[in-house]
Amino acid sequence: MGKKRLTMRRKESIYGYIFVLPWIIGFLAFTAGPLVFSFVASFTNYNITSQMDFVGAENYQGLFTEDSLFWTSLWNTLYFVIFSVPLTTIGAIFLSALLNQDIPGMRVFRTLYYLPAVLSGVGVYMLWMQLLDPGTGMVNLVLSWFGIDGPNWLFDPDWTKPSIIFMKLWSVGGSMLLYLASMQGVSKSLYEAAEIDGANTWKKFFHITIPMITPVIFFDVVTSLIGGFQIFQEAYVMSNNGEGGPANSLLFYNLYMWKQAFTNFNMGYAMAMSWILFVIVFILTIFNLKLAPRWVHYEGEEK
Amino acid sequence: MDKPTDNLDYLDKADNLKTIETANENPSFFEHRGNRKNILVVFNFVLLAIGSLLILSPLWWMFATSLKTMAEVMSFPPSFWPEDWLFSNYIKTWEAAPFTRYTINTLTITILVVIGNVLSNSFIAYGFAKIPFRGKNILFAIVLATMMIPGFVTLIPQYVLFANLGWVNTYYPLIVPAFFGSAFNIFLLRQFYMTIPTELIEAAKMEGANHFYIWWKIGLPLTKPAIATVAIFSFNGAWNDFLGPLLYLNDENLYTLQIGLQVFKGQLSTQWNYLMAGSLLVLLPVILIFFFFQKYFIQGINLQSGGK
Amino acid sequence: MNKLKVFIILIAGLALILSGCSGFQTNNSGGDEAAVNEDGKTVVDFWTFWGSEIRRPIIEQIITDFNESQDEIEVKHTYLPFGDIWTKELAAIAAGDPPDVVINDINATALRGQKKQAMNLSKFLEEDDISKRFYPELWDATLYEGDSYGIPFNTDTRVLFYNKDAFKEAGLDPEKPPTTWAELEEYAAKLDKKAGSNYDRVGFYPLWGIGYDVWLLNANGQSYFDDQDNFEVDTAKNEEVLNWLKSWKDKYGEDVVNSYQAQIDSQQGHPFFTGDLAMIAQAPTFYTQIRDYAPDLNFGVIELPEYEEGNGNTSWGGGFVAEIPEGSKNSEAAWEFIKYLTDVEAQEYWAVKNFDNVANIEAAEAAAKSDEFTEDGTMVYEKAVENMEHTLLTPVPVIAPDFTSLINPNIDEFLLGSMTAKEALAKSQADVENLIEKNK
Repeated sequence: MGKKRLTMRRKESIYGYIFVLPWIIGFLAFTAGPLVFSFVASFTNYNITSQMDFVGAENYQGLFTEDSLFWTSLWNTLYFVIFSVPLTTIGAIFLSALLNQDIPGMRVFRTLYYLPAVLSGVGVYMLWMQLLDPGTGMVNLVLSWFGIDGPNWLFDPDWTKPSIIFMKLWSVGGSMLLYLASMQGVSKSLYEAAEIDGANTWKKFFHITIPMITPVIFFDVVTSLIGGFQIFQEAYVMSNNGEGGPANSLLFYNLYMWKQAFTNFNMGYAMAMSWILFVIVFILTIFNLKLAPRWVHYEGEEK
Repeated sequence: MDKPTDNLDYLDKADNLKTIETANENPSFFEHRGNRKNILVVFNFVLLAIGSLLILSPLWWMFATSLKTMAEVMSFPPSFWPEDWLFSNYIKTWEAAPFTRYTINTLTITILVVIGNVLSNSFIAYGFAKIPFRGKNILFAIVLATMMIPGFVTLIPQYVLFANLGWVNTYYPLIVPAFFGSAFNIFLLRQFYMTIPTELIEAAKMEGANHFYIWWKIGLPLTKPAIATVAIFSFNGAWNDFLGPLLYLNDENLYTLQIGLQVFKGQLSTQWNYLMAGSLLVLLPVILIFFFFQKYFIQGINLQSGGK
Repeated sequence: MNKLKVFIILIAGLALILSGCSGFQTNNSGGDEAAVNEDGKTVVDFWTFWGSEIRRPIIEQIITDFNESQDEIEVKHTYLPFGDIWTKELAAIAAGDPPDVVINDINATALRGQKKQAMNLSKFLEEDDISKRFYPELWDATLYEGDSYGIPFNTDTRVLFYNKDAFKEAGLDPEKPPTTWAELEEYAAKLDKKAGSNYDRVGFYPLWGIGYDVWLLNANGQSYFDDQDNFEVDTAKNEEVLNWLKSWKDKYGEDVVNSYQAQIDSQQGHPFFTGDLAMIAQAPTFYTQIRDYAPDLNFGVIELPEYEEGNGNTSWGGGFVAEIPEGSKNSEAAWEFIKYLTDVEAQEYWAVKNFDNVANIEAAEAAAKSDEFTEDGTMVYEKAVENMEHTLLTPVPVIAPDFTSLINPNIDEFLLGSMTAKEALAKSQADVENLIEKNK
């Protein structure tokens, strides 16, 4: 019996390896090399074209002790992540709940709300710069209808990051897609049973829908956390000359890293920065993974 | 794929499961009986309609700009309604660069990337979600970790790698990696596979099915909405990718739409009307795909159980 | 399920048909030999960011002319988007298979020379010294340790555009524009048209169009770094200049400044075109926008006013060079092409067709007399050429290439009112000195 189970398990293992084999091949062929290289080069003064001398932990040490912009950029990025991740997650769940109904024109609505997520590139950011224009922009115009004197958005260092977060909320349609797909899988019988018990809409939402889509909420939180730390393009386009201004308020971590790598050619330094970011995000993700069993509910989980 | 011919009970079970789970047309947490339901529907409709206006107004601005002359674009204050509706801007935009060629190129890349992503990721994710094997957690952690390193720092070494393979100025660097899975999609599909009851898979195994068969016959159909999501995401990603084609393509005949759009963005001034017209044209296929593809993931499971 | 299968098969079939195209043919033509085409001509791979419907035909005409002028070299032009072109160039250099000529930023030429991204051109210059073709200021910007790493192609400068009709309306003589900072202030006050808390017309605001650094340059007549790489920003004069800049902001108020700034940044709708702004400092190419979008505007152009009489009208400029990336296999042929590209004929053609300042002095002066320009065009172009005399470039110092990113935030803070000018300058001085120390 024991022996048979062992071979069963071994057989299972072989299947497991076969299934993940494509990823392992791809990883070894395309990703692992560049990753290892960037790790090694983070201990050098690598500048891409002419030098790569070992400098020990100098890059890391310099970042922590001598580089005030490192801390500025890290703080800006943290600020962005702390606000944008919860807001876009809640926004997307709420939106998909609304869009997961039997209402006339639903396909059109879904397409409309998904639109902003598809639009990409510089045009969109320029569009937002126009909308956020403190004097003539549409956002402040709408606010003025409600008697609110709108802020200076991209010109006031206190409002630049909220501007970007605001813009991100406009395009939550991307994660909405995930939630919609997941809500489709929630069994109707659960709702019916709850209705018999006299549960109202909100109760059903919080006690059935939300728990049933936790695997996707978990996915969304983890990936938008990882993505949030990598924010770059928005600041690159929306701050003057891609400098990260005014007053460095949009100097996000990746923007600073980009400048070190591609305008100062301090590639080794930039690589050290990337590994510091990696450690931060990795710890947060592990934390997330460890916390997950407390709130993420997998219907198919082995008990 | 060898198919066990004798006993197909577990397939029926899978079907039963689907029917139970999604017997209705459209599960809704707002659903109520009678009048209250109607009031709610109207309320939601109005809410969504107002929201759509907010979403659409920036897009209206894009559309309006695309129809203006540059003189009107540059006038102040900006006009909400174009003076003349210059639909000819769209023709001029299309002719400003070989956009037909670019469309074919982009489509080629995109379709292959979507196929690669759909096939590889669902296969890999099944392994991570449903088969126990030694080292799985560590491997999965590495999968996630690959998302956490900013692409800038691997950009140069990766380019050198592809250059050594002789792949520069071909589509291979843009397409081939898609066939080996990507962390985001693997993770996403894993989350969906995790919700498939293990008993279902156990039952199938008891009846002699191997994991390939289970993946193909149970895994894929049950995660159809998620696969559709992956398809849509990868379509978007490949369609809108700019840096990849820019780095790897040298021959202008191989360029893609996103590179083509850049010709309107000069060093000193931008031709906003053409840029907006071009952006909207490029957007169109994505919208159409989404509009028609929706039903695959919105009603996917239902179609599945009915279509047997 | 069957639907899905059919779908996949269909798509795979389509993909196979499409895959007949050239995007799937790998080539290992890398090698170390120079690329040669079927006619036996050496192929020079030339990358530019000139893809717009205005610039592209002009550069391609120059290339065609060059290709037809001899029978050994064939130049192949590739357009790449501005900015990203250099990321790609860097990757290609790292992979050892770069193009042969690339247009790149003049101000960072020395840095690229130091990092061995651009090829040292002295071996070519020893044979034919073409350095005298160009404005000395531009030529000097291409040097690292005395050797040139790129040949100047085009350049620009900053001048003051003013609205003549607004001058008349305000009782000012449109032929006597302001020549000093004091006059600038005086004129602006007369040109202002206040309407409640807002303005119907703003006379002038120094930080629209150009940055604070240009005003510092204008006042000091030199950049932050001297010949010995000594850095100095924390001076009494600079403090005065900053406070002068701030006084403008205080005068018009945050709201007016931001609203106009947003408009100018958005590159759509310019207050100068509509007469809402009477004067603005800009590069001469600004004229092409006036020509295209506000053809009826009655405007004049003059050098930047001087700090005080006799201080000089120092202005700031940039530009681009043609460089040969390190590792190019056709550098001899590339050099031949660069020589052609920066010679009088090609430069004059570029200048006239694009209304662009060119680096070649003779070509620039010839273009100023071109009868292809309108009266306004000639006026602006002549002023631009004339202005090159007092135009300085600010090449990035190899010792601290990113030093401005340490100054700019402090100046931002100052202009926002959270630092005094003295504090901002002292902090900038200390930060930059630290950086230099660290990089040594």
